[in-house]
Parts: sequence; C-alpha cells; structure tokens
Amino acid sequence: MRTVISILSVMVLMVMLVVTASALAHFGTITPSDDIVTQDDSKTLNLQIKFIHPMELHYMEMVKPKQFGVVHDGKKTDLLNSLQAIKGKSPDQNEKFTFWTTDYKIRRPGDYTFYVEPTPYWEPAEDLFIVHYTKVCVNALGLEKGWDQPVGLETEIVPMTRPYGLWTGNLFTGQVLLKGKPVSFAEVEIEYLNESPGNISVVIAPADPYVTQVVKADANGVFSYAMPKAGWWGFAALNEADWKLKYDGKEKGVEIGAVYWVHTRDMK
Amino acid sequence: MKIMNYLLIPAFVLLLFSGTALAHKVNLFAYAEAGRVYTESYFPDGNPVESGKVLVYDSQDKLLLEGVTDKKGLFDFAVPKVDDLTIVIEATMGHKNSFKLKKADVEAGK
Repeated sequence: MRTVISILSVMVLMVMLVVTASALAHFGTITPSDDIVTQDDSKTLNLQIKFIHPMELHYMEMVKPKQFGVVHDGKKTDLLNSLQAIKGKSPDQNEKFTFWTTDYKIRRPGDYTFYVEPTPYWEPAEDLFIVHYTKVCVNALGLEKGWDQPVGLETEIVPMTRPYGLWTGNLFTGQVLLKGKPVSFAEVEIEYLNESPGNISVVIAPADPYVTQVVKADANGVFSYAMPKAGWWGFAALNEADWKLKYDGKEKGVEIGAVYWVHTRDMK
Repeated sequence: MKIMNYLLIPAFVLLLFSGTALAHKVNLFAYAEAGRVYTESYFPDGNPVESGKVLVYDSQDKLLLEGVTDKKGLFDFAVPKVDDLTIVIEATMGHKNSFKLKKADVEAGK
C-alpha cells in the first residue's frame, strides 16, 4: 500500500512539475557583455538575444527577429543583418535551442538603447502568439543621456530610474507604454536571470510565486520593484494586442510584452 | 572625544571633495578625422564644459599643445604627432579628467 501511495505521490508531483513548467513566465532577453563602458573597457560589446525562462534557465527556440537595432543620440540604427544564430541550453535541457548574437562597436559617448522585436512565437500551451519587445541600455564614456527616451515600439517600458549603475536593493521604476500611451494598472512580471555572469549561487525558488514576481502599475502605468540580488533583472509588462495572427487557419490572440533588463551590483 | 572630532574632519573633507567631483564630473571624448583631433568635453547630463583648459601630452608625457573649449565644449587641433595621446580637460573648481587616444586611432584619422 505504502509503495502505491509513494508511486502515486511521485506521479502527482511530476504532473505538477510539468504543469508549473508550462506556466512559467517567458521573457525576451538582450544581455550585453557590459552595461557601463568606460575609457579602459573594451569598446566592442557582445550582445545575446534569447527567449527563455530566466529563473529556470530554460531556452526556447528563437527564429530570426523581425527588428533589432540601437538608438543613440536620438538616432536609430538597424542592426538586424549583424545577427548570427547560435545554439545553447540549460544544464537540464537535452536539446539545444537557437538564440542570436552580435558584436557592436561603441564609437561615441552616450546611452545606447538596444531593442528587439522578435518574430511571433507560437505557444500551444497558452493557445496564443507571444511577441516580447525587449530593450536594454548601455552607457558609454560618462555621458548619461538618452536612457529616458522611448524607442517608439508598439509597447515598451520607459525607465524612470536611470537603468545602469544600480546597486543590489535599488528600486527600479518604469512606465509601461502601449502605442505611446501609459497603460493604467499594467501587470508587470519580474524575473532574475539565473545565468547572469558572476552569479555565485543559482537561485532555487522555494515555491512557484518566488519564480516570477508580480507588481501592478499605478493609473499612470508607473511601477517599481526593489531588486534583491546582483545580476540581471527582467521586467515584462504583458498586454493583449488588438490584432490577431493565424495558426492552422484559425485566428489566435497575440500577447505583446514590453520587456526591459537592468543590471545590479553588490555594494562592497 | 575631542580626538575623534579631529579625525572626522579629514573624512568629512574627503567626502565633500569626492561628492562635488562626482556630481559635476567632467568628461572628455576625442577622435581623429581627416588630419585633425576633435575633442568634446561634457558633464554627465550632456551640458558642455565651457572655457575648459585642454592639454595634450604625448606618450612621454611631454606637453604638445593646449587650448580652451568653446561654448559647445569643443576644441580641435591638427594631429600633432602619431603617438598615444593623453588629452586632459581641466574645468573650474579643479574638475579634471583625461582621455587616451590610441596611436592606432590617431594614425587612422591622420
């Protein structure tokens, strides 16, 4: 009897794991090799663009994005053709998944906001497409100008906290925009990137709600979150698009996410 | 107790100086193009460093030339020497920073 019960409980646990795994938050990511480029640093940034579960380290297959570029000094530069496909996986994944990488040379002082618009990702578990408009800002050579400007994406998070030079524990505040207008009471999901370079201990969530943090924006679409660990933090504000895409001949909803990444360091 | 107070003074003075230096940190950026070296001097918020003194040194720390930034924080000069150049900006209140323009970049912009 006991064996039966333990077999049953293991099975229940496994089913629970499978179910929670599919319920985990997806995040588009852009991770630069450096977030503050000083005179003595390499001026060549390496950027990695992925579609992952940041806390669980799980990769998802990513086809070539629709748009990838950088805004510097108010000017947009298209970098889509510089992207190269590369494969990777988490330690507990069996197969490798495609993500994208490029090198970018910093030539002038100022803030560089990199942005990506991925090709819609079909998620059968949620019966919808996912498009995460993702941004990250890199500061160069002491000129702190440009980070607070929107890029002009369909939906995006515009930082209200300068998004670099952040200590662990700092509050990050941002505004969620959809077609340039604030999204009242937008729901924002937050995850820690467990594969952050320099992360000394992989965070294991004691219960599911710890994996993805959730905050709601105020009436002006403004939200805040204090980041408790050093590394990369992703903020994703999710909305449903007012347009549909076809899958197997049927119209399906599209989840559009505004994603922003910031990096924190321990004070020591 | 009194000794403690005396000890605090240098710490306080240090804090005072580093505080002002950071809040008004000056920066200089330089590049070479068509035989000239262009410098831009600015505060972190993008405001130009006006009437700042620019000093140009070679790799042997020999002063090659000096000049003053204009209203836009700009100062440019003909490539004085194909060498690693150290370009120093000195603003008022002792605010100072430098930029190293590598020989390869000077050569490329000659």
